[in-house]
Amino acid sequence: MDFELTDEQQLIRDAVREFAETEVTPIAAELDRDHRFPYELLPKLAEMNLMGMPYPEKEGGAGADYVSYVIAIEEISRACASTGIIVSAHTSLATWPIFKFGTEAQKDQYLQDMASGRRLGAFALTEPGAGTDAGAGTATATLRADGYALNGSKMFITNAPFADVYVVFAKTDPERGARGMSAFIVEKDTPGFSVGEAEHKLGIRGSSTPPIYFADCRIGKEALLGGEGDGFKIAMQTLDGGRIGVSAQALGIAQAALDAAIAYAKERVQFGKPIATLQAIQWMIADMALEVDAARLLVYRAASCVDNGRPYSTEGAMAKLFASETATRVAGKAIQIHGGYGYTESYPVERNYRDAKITELYEGTSEVQRMVIARSALR
Amino acid sequence: MRIVVAYKWTCDPEEATVRADGTVDWSRAKPGLSAYDPVAIELARQFADAAGAELIGVTAGGKGVAAPIAAKAALGRGLDRVVIVEDGSLADAGRSELAAVLAEVIRHVGDVDLVVTGDSSVDVAAKMVPTVLAGELGWPAVAEVTSITGQAGALRVERAIPGGVQVLEISGPAVLAAAADAAAPRVPGMKELLAAAKKPVELLDLTALKVPSQNAVMTVTGRARPERKVRKGQLIDTADPAAAAAELVTALRAAGTL
Amino acid sequence: MSVNAWIVVADQPGVGNLITVARSLGGPVGAVVAGPRPVAETVASSGVDKVVWCHAPDDVPPEASAQAVADTVAADPPRVVLAGRNPAERVLLGAAAARLKAAVLTGARSVSLDGDSTTVVNAVFGDIADETVAVSGPVALLLDGGSVPPAAGPGAPIEEITAAPLGMKVIETRTHGFEEVDLNAAPRVIGVGRGLAAKEDLALIEELAHVLEAEIACSRPVAEGLNWMGKDRYIGSSGAHITPQLYLAIGISGQLQHMVGVTGAETIVGINADPNAAIFSQTDYGLVGDLYQLVPAITAALR
Repeated sequence: MDFELTDEQQLIRDAVREFAETEVTPIAAELDRDHRFPYELLPKLAEMNLMGMPYPEKEGGAGADYVSYVIAIEEISRACASTGIIVSAHTSLATWPIFKFGTEAQKDQYLQDMASGRRLGAFALTEPGAGTDAGAGTATATLRADGYALNGSKMFITNAPFADVYVVFAKTDPERGARGMSAFIVEKDTPGFSVGEAEHKLGIRGSSTPPIYFADCRIGKEALLGGEGDGFKIAMQTLDGGRIGVSAQALGIAQAALDAAIAYAKERVQFGKPIATLQAIQWMIADMALEVDAARLLVYRAASCVDNGRPYSTEGAMAKLFASETATRVAGKAIQIHGGYGYTESYPVERNYRDAKITELYEGTSEVQRMVIARSALR
Repeated sequence: MRIVVAYKWTCDPEEATVRADGTVDWSRAKPGLSAYDPVAIELARQFADAAGAELIGVTAGGKGVAAPIAAKAALGRGLDRVVIVEDGSLADAGRSELAAVLAEVIRHVGDVDLVVTGDSSVDVAAKMVPTVLAGELGWPAVAEVTSITGQAGALRVERAIPGGVQVLEISGPAVLAAAADAAAPRVPGMKELLAAAKKPVELLDLTALKVPSQNAVMTVTGRARPERKVRKGQLIDTADPAAAAAELVTALRAAGTL
Repeated sequence: MSVNAWIVVADQPGVGNLITVARSLGGPVGAVVAGPRPVAETVASSGVDKVVWCHAPDDVPPEASAQAVADTVAADPPRVVLAGRNPAERVLLGAAAARLKAAVLTGARSVSLDGDSTTVVNAVFGDIADETVAVSGPVALLLDGGSVPPAAGPGAPIEEITAAPLGMKVIETRTHGFEEVDLNAAPRVIGVGRGLAAKEDLALIEELAHVLEAEIACSRPVAEGLNWMGKDRYIGSSGAHITPQLYLAIGISGQLQHMVGVTGAETIVGINADPNAAIFSQTDYGLVGDLYQLVPAITAALR
């Protein structure tokens, strides 16, 4: 069992880190402060082949393994958690269902553009009344002569309104509950599809997550992704992979906070010595370093399962649960180590702290992850 | 047309520490492409694309320079193939020795129209290997190069001089050392990095190259940590800029600096 | 007369330090000049024993005479061959070193002859350590050239050679309009780094430089990537090494590659907004704060 990264994985990590330091870090604080979506990064990310890493080259992707993809999300998120989720949601939530369930015609129309980063994707499942209980969604897709009419609203849709392609879940047969849900590919600017006001959040403020509305939005039959009634299954399988991306985002946030805490502890002098010489600080750093390393092992292990064609649902849940709770804990301790300075905007740890919390909530709350793990353990 | 980029795989002294006895501890340093070599590769790549030339990387050094990751790191930056000499005896090689080896490698590659190097290596920073290499090959050499255009046998080279830029025409093969800001090296994309593993890597045996020996032998007879001026390390409180400025000026006047 | 030390000169006559070092080794000192005749004449009257001048056409750069320089040095092989840290001199020295198959050292703090061996104390790896090196055989040294040497008695004879230059021609020269500077001559220097947000902000620094009577220099990114100043103002491992009485580092992080150029400064003051910046372990006086407030305050305090 080799715990070392391959040459390619190391080189990818170095290149994405270089890219992140050059293009992302300089704007990270500003994106957060101004709640600004980094529109200008999209072509640069595309040029680096970072928008469809795990997809085959012939489909427009980079043909990279999943571990490399996860390393890329980690490195981007280390610089800016908002940019990390923009890439992860696009790659794992929006592009994947089309890659996995799309017809040849649908793949021809969307996959190249999305995997190459020419077009941005979004995933629309969550509704005001349906979060963890995703099957309780009330958005409907009513069959008409020439297609479907979508009605309903979704919320917290990452990448809206900048995305071009939306994978939308709506019930073709509301009577059947979750089994009546279907998935559709909807392009922006389709009449009847509108985007609401920006959501102001605690963290990942550079990520745009407004509600979106469908009012008699007409789409063709060819917009159906998979079969009628397959929607819930498609959503759940997509989230299984998406949560590995989120676990990588959490890992990146945790690493950033840890790095900042270590640098500060070495420089900050109190009582005539750097505080890094104090055992209290050393033990905090030891716990933080341990947790981040453990999170890394879980995240890479989950990604490795994807690469080896093994089931990854439980492993992904473990990685997501642990990495997200680690991010929150480590970011909190990082502020503690910084003392009062950590509470100000002059230091990046307060942003790490605010960014970390979302990783415990989206793409399946920690409670959902525990449900998945318990189900597996109690089989 | 054939263009060679001579690159270096080595550690950054920023990551090294000096022991009290003057020996250097490299154990925490991770080797990588020397800092300015990506600039040289980028400059050469742009010219190679314009001229339809093959771009070949060459390097020589101690253990590790032929490791797959080292070759891939260089190839991922835009080289078509690499030729490498790895030999333990080269780990502590002097500039002339290294240049002599590189000259033989370039003769082995054959039909080379241009050699491009970085401004200087990140660790030794001598700026002499390209010029000694040119001397070995009997070719013209120019440093501080900021632009390369033209074609084989008629290279048009721009180089920085005090006060400006000079444009030269060079009629034969040459060695050009790229200025540190000659080009903005692109960060290798994911596809480029993954494709690097498929590009050819040729390993050459040092003994088989029959590099003529040097006339000078260097022996290190002593090592020391240089005497560094001990700095006061006084921090001036800056809560009130005017007060901080006054304190600084007073201190400098008292010390006789102002 | 068998030359003990050759000095290789291109078109810059600043070789005073090279002559001093060469003379200190004892024995005849020769100089080979590949540049305009006036440079050869300056060198000839500075205390060397013989001068060879490579006469090349006006539109040919000094580098084109590299093989002629190598021929000259090889015809009278020395213990030591020396050149200053300029691009053309490095090319000429490289050609001579290749021909002699000489060792090349570029960080010499001192040189002495000990019987058949030449002993050099050489600074290595960005000057983090010193190595004492014993060399048996010829040595090529790259050193700070020094200033233009004053006339010292009757000049040495100038032997003129016309060798076929390597195929190089100057076809155009463009000036960039940056004012040139000799940082080595400045007793006070202000170094500017990436902490300065915009080129326009140099005005702030210029005001301070004016009242402080200081020259302005910079770290590598400012000279190159940003191109806010001429490259002769860049201080660092492959740039200028200066020893002023006062070095004021503003918005400079304090990385090894820059600081190696100023370790000899008498007093170092650092201003940086980042309390974790490496500069603060290398200053006599450190001010953690906003340079946009501190620099004007210091300017005012000096008036």
